[in-house]
Amino acid sequence: MSMLAAQHGAINLGQGFPNFDGPEFVKEAAVQAIRDGKNQYARGSGVPDLSCAIAERFKKETGLVVDPEKEITVTTGCTEAIAATMLGLINPAEEVILFAPYYDSYSATLSMAGAKVKCITLHPPDFSVPIEELKSTMSKETRAILINTPHNPTGKMFSPEEPNAIASLCIENDVLVFSDEVYDKLAFDMDHVSIASLPGMFERTVTMNSLGKTFSLTGWKIGWAIAPPHLTWGVRQAHAFLTSASTNPMQWAAAEALRAPDSYFVELKRDYKAKRDILVEALKDVGFRVFPPSGTYFVIVDHTPLGLENDVAFCEYVIKEVGVAAIPTIVFYMNPEEGKNLVRFTFCKDEGTLRSAVERMKKKLKRK
Amino acid sequence: MEVKLSRAAKKITSSSIQELSHLSQRCNAINLAEGFPDFPASPHIKNAAVSAINSDFNQYRHVQGLCDHVAKMAKEMHGLDIDPLTDVAICCGQSEAFAAAIFATIDPGDEVILFDPSYETYEACVTMVGGVPISSTAFYVVLCHFCFWDPIMALHIHVPLDPPQWTLDPSKLLRSFTDRTKAIVLNSPQNPTGKVFTKKELEIIAGECCRQNCLALTDEVYEHITYDNLKHISLASFPGMQERTVITSSLSKSFSVTGWRVGWAIAPAFLADAIRNIHVKVTDSAPAPFQEAALTALRSPPEYFESLRRDYQSKRDYMIKLLAEVGFKIDFIPQGSFFIFAELPDNCPLLDVDFVKKLILEAGVVAVPGQGFFNTNLPSTEGSNLSCFYQKRYIRFAFCKSDATLTMAAERLCKLLDAEGHLVLH
Repeated sequence: MSMLAAQHGAINLGQGFPNFDGPEFVKEAAVQAIRDGKNQYARGSGVPDLSCAIAERFKKETGLVVDPEKEITVTTGCTEAIAATMLGLINPAEEVILFAPYYDSYSATLSMAGAKVKCITLHPPDFSVPIEELKSTMSKETRAILINTPHNPTGKMFSPEEPNAIASLCIENDVLVFSDEVYDKLAFDMDHVSIASLPGMFERTVTMNSLGKTFSLTGWKIGWAIAPPHLTWGVRQAHAFLTSASTNPMQWAAAEALRAPDSYFVELKRDYKAKRDILVEALKDVGFRVFPPSGTYFVIVDHTPLGLENDVAFCEYVIKEVGVAAIPTIVFYMNPEEGKNLVRFTFCKDEGTLRSAVERMKKKLKRK
Repeated sequence: MEVKLSRAAKKITSSSIQELSHLSQRCNAINLAEGFPDFPASPHIKNAAVSAINSDFNQYRHVQGLCDHVAKMAKEMHGLDIDPLTDVAICCGQSEAFAAAIFATIDPGDEVILFDPSYETYEACVTMVGGVPISSTAFYVVLCHFCFWDPIMALHIHVPLDPPQWTLDPSKLLRSFTDRTKAIVLNSPQNPTGKVFTKKELEIIAGECCRQNCLALTDEVYEHITYDNLKHISLASFPGMQERTVITSSLSKSFSVTGWRVGWAIAPAFLADAIRNIHVKVTDSAPAPFQEAALTALRSPPEYFESLRRDYQSKRDYMIKLLAEVGFKIDFIPQGSFFIFAELPDNCPLLDVDFVKKLILEAGVVAVPGQGFFNTNLPSTEGSNLSCFYQKRYIRFAFCKSDATLTMAAERLCKLLDAEGHLVLH
């Protein structure tokens, strides 16, 4: 879709990365680290100062005290945290529960680990977790469940009841939780809750996050996994052979970033919330059935009111005829049929770009 | 909860290199163990990275120019015709390129031939996907018939290179192939020995690969670090090999930026495609500003590489002289990489690990015990005990260190000598 978008000069609201850059103070820290000669292998599990900064922030946000030496692993982006968690903790043929739609690397790395995947679909309009279905799917045979909140692609955030229900089922069945929380700073309508902070959960949870989304530096590839020592050990073993270590200078810069004052995070949320509102209002106006996101920088819409056959056809039409790119949600589902009515837009773009895109859509897509 | 660890994770132990590194840090020892420089990278490359960060090359990126340069270099060095659009996958270091190549090609139960000694990570990678790292020894045939063969378990056997020159015995190589052999892993110039496989040896390996119709996965990270006017030859340049070889390499060693994590795989399109797909799922993209800086690095003039070689050669010569004076046996002069694989003096009764511990505590210098580079899971018969004793008598010294560091290491090591100039450890 990106190539098609480029060919047609379409405004790309498909790809999930910003067209604006990260904050100066973080970039300067990276430049300084390069000049200071921090260009050789970092310790495999992460530069100690970054591990400390991650622990400090995690304590601030969840109240949990973790040991940076034993319970934090720095990875090459959250994507690698996921891969290392799957490969380090899942044996072939072990059962893992996944919610669809999902970030497409989940299914790929589960497949590399040889896992048996049990997929539960979240449905519009709320994309709420079907607790009864979860109860009947989870058993003592289940090794782990993978959750992502705030959620890509729907922008859903787990309501307070949902993590509680998941937690009690996991405790009952002795199941691990792999929690992808990369969008935790982009939580607009409610507070983000890390499932690891619920009673009985830290000992069975791997909490994953990264620098990229929070600091608009998606190409730096600094992520991490926080887990109790016995789970961290598995993550580290896999990480050791997957990439062996993450980029050294960026780790030093990441430590600076995570120690940013609260005002940074407040402003980040405010900016993204405003962008969300611009896009959601416009998409409603154009005639989509919109499912407003509570978090992330994505919004999912049902495109069928505009009369096209399926998500892929719709996206191609909008690129060519309107000059705006979204992405079909087909890649986020195990069963492609399930996503055909839905497409994902992103609002991680500067306001000017968003307004241009909105104008194009209102002009050419809106039913008169 | 320990039962929650995957089978593969339980098999792999933490790197002995890293553990000794921690002890050496506590003792403030001079680190001749880990294979990365303590001198700065070249300014032109660092400036390129700084410039990339300041020019906002900070989001997910694929820098096609990097593929173009890699292809160009492969043509210049080895005469290989590489299509930069289809045959190159950029990865997060050679580490990820290799891991992705293994995932792209090896299924549980497949056999992968490794040489002995070799860098310990290859074996770990193969084990992770449930492959069987294989070598051949006189005992292999016996093992096949009488051992319980669990294809998911790693029965570690390697093709041993013969000390003291680390020569390849073709008959040992031939014996290691079975109808389950999927690939052979070749690292040249080699870590830990510094061996550069000769044209003749490469011909033999290439011939067997073609005859047995298996793949070759090469690690060529030290490709620009060769000595005495010896040229590194890529296995892929031999007849019939380009179509079955994955070359992996990186910026790390050639440009003294081991912490940047930019590497690549060069392979026929179908393989490069598979590797790229896996890379995207494992890490999404290599660090963007450093991909950009790599363009500058790979455009470095011939003088850069000449001076790299020259500097490392003088460090090599200094270290060899020093270690020989201290009493080590250096039967094999490294032809490439920045390691010396030195044998303990005959009159030293210690094994490598104990020697290195004493070296840290008494001399304040750390190196790597060689046994971690050998497979040790041979059956315990009398013959094997004797013939494998050498595996615990080697120490790997890294000389990718500044002249000041090497000089200080020399002073500290010389303190260990008695009046006759022999090594004394208490």
